[in-house]
Amino acid sequence: MTAEVAKYTMAQVEALELAPGAEHEQLEGWVPALATDDELRQALGKALDYRGDVTLTLKTGERIEAFIFNCQTGPTLAESFLQYFTPSSPEKRKVGYAEIARVEFTGKDRAAGKHWEDWVKAYNEKKAAGEKNIALVPDKLD
Amino acid sequence: MAVPISQMGTVAWYVIKKRLAGNKRYPLVLMLEPLFRCNLACAGCGKVQYPPHILKKQLSPEECFAAVEECGAPLVSLPGGEPLLHPQIVEIVNGLIARKKYIYLCTNALELKRRLPEFTPSKYLTFSVHLDGEREHHDYSVCREGGYDIAVEGIKEAVKRGFRVTTNATFFDGTDPNSVRGFFDEVMDMGVEGIVLSPGYSYDKAPDQTKFMGRARVRRLFRAILSNRKPTWKFNMSPLFLEFLMGDRKYECTPWGSPAFNIFGWQRPCYLLQEGYAESFKELLETTKWEEYGVASGNPKCANCMVSCGYEPSAVIEGFGSLKGFWGMVRGTFSRYPDPHALKLLNEPMPHGRTPLVQIDHSTQTLEETNA
Repeated sequence: MTAEVAKYTMAQVEALELAPGAEHEQLEGWVPALATDDELRQALGKALDYRGDVTLTLKTGERIEAFIFNCQTGPTLAESFLQYFTPSSPEKRKVGYAEIARVEFTGKDRAAGKHWEDWVKAYNEKKAAGEKNIALVPDKLD
Repeated sequence: MAVPISQMGTVAWYVIKKRLAGNKRYPLVLMLEPLFRCNLACAGCGKVQYPPHILKKQLSPEECFAAVEECGAPLVSLPGGEPLLHPQIVEIVNGLIARKKYIYLCTNALELKRRLPEFTPSKYLTFSVHLDGEREHHDYSVCREGGYDIAVEGIKEAVKRGFRVTTNATFFDGTDPNSVRGFFDEVMDMGVEGIVLSPGYSYDKAPDQTKFMGRARVRRLFRAILSNRKPTWKFNMSPLFLEFLMGDRKYECTPWGSPAFNIFGWQRPCYLLQEGYAESFKELLETTKWEEYGVASGNPKCANCMVSCGYEPSAVIEGFGSLKGFWGMVRGTFSRYPDPHALKLLNEPMPHGRTPLVQIDHSTQTLEETNA
């Protein structure tokens, strides 16, 4: 069974030995084509899952650097909106899907390159080289 | 019995009142995440990968109190991020104690010893220290050598100062049950009130992860760990939830039992999945499509989840919601769960030899499992 399975039966769930982990697309730098409403919805769905900032260009021409944390979708674009934080503003903001002309995945993907397997490999190499106090450190905030 | 009577009584009375009032969905533990910032960088963590401007944000004490009052749960867990990095964490904790909420402050304890003088011991406050196993295993798990020693120093100081302290551990595929049992001996010797544990879960938004235990494997591992218990071990958890992990009980998820609130709002549908946010707890309860989650829904995102935030509320509600459940809880509290088959497994060598480290390769050992 893989992550592509749409729905498990209870028997499948109970017998599951290994669960597929999350697989992430490389989205950093991506600028999706937004020719149709569906393409816009899909792009914003990926932006919601993205662990970095995106840049939204509104139909007015305004550009917004945003971390999107919530998408509320309705039957039409006019009834759908997303919520975001910008790097410079403390308040949550909201924009309608119908107002968005372009989406760019401009910010660094903060979930990329942090696989457990990478740590295991690095740890074993450093240990073999006799290093002490081996550790991963959090990214700098400034 | 690791959970104090006063805390059990508060939760029992709360559950009974909710049932008598005919409430179908009610919270037991508010997962209040005051910030996402952390002083560890554990590989694969699904909680802290955000841009710096998000990591710098934090809930104010007033926002925390408003969420606690709106939710009404008798227990409040303060995870994160690392709560001790919040500059107003003492004010938040004191405000929750004043509201008579039982608090579990979840910490990696890197800052615990330094911050302890700012806190006052209370029956309402427990430091729940993240320890994933014996020294080498924990350091490997949190990607920091020396992390275990600092955490243990914090635990010992907190115990000495009269605080309630538990440890909490997450176990992943390849965990050596003997190592875990040795770890239980170690932490009980430190004087902690009890142990909290949970199987790992593949966070949808975490960095790429390729292997997580499915339910069958979780049941085998926890049956090996939790059968044939030593009398010194105490668990700060529902005995029925531990039986669920061992495969002796079946539960459906109760995602609204541990709702999560953070800088984004009320998280849908649960503490683990992030599928959007509601502006209020009422909106969360009334507008989340609950039928789309839990194992019965067939949702692949829920397929391998047996995590405490979803299933322990189910166990607690059964325990305090019926005589049969209550009797099961009493029996579970005092049982040692003798199981010769599980004992046999413990005496067999691990494929990698006895090691405190989580291995990436999969165990080929088989253990006849119990599946209620």
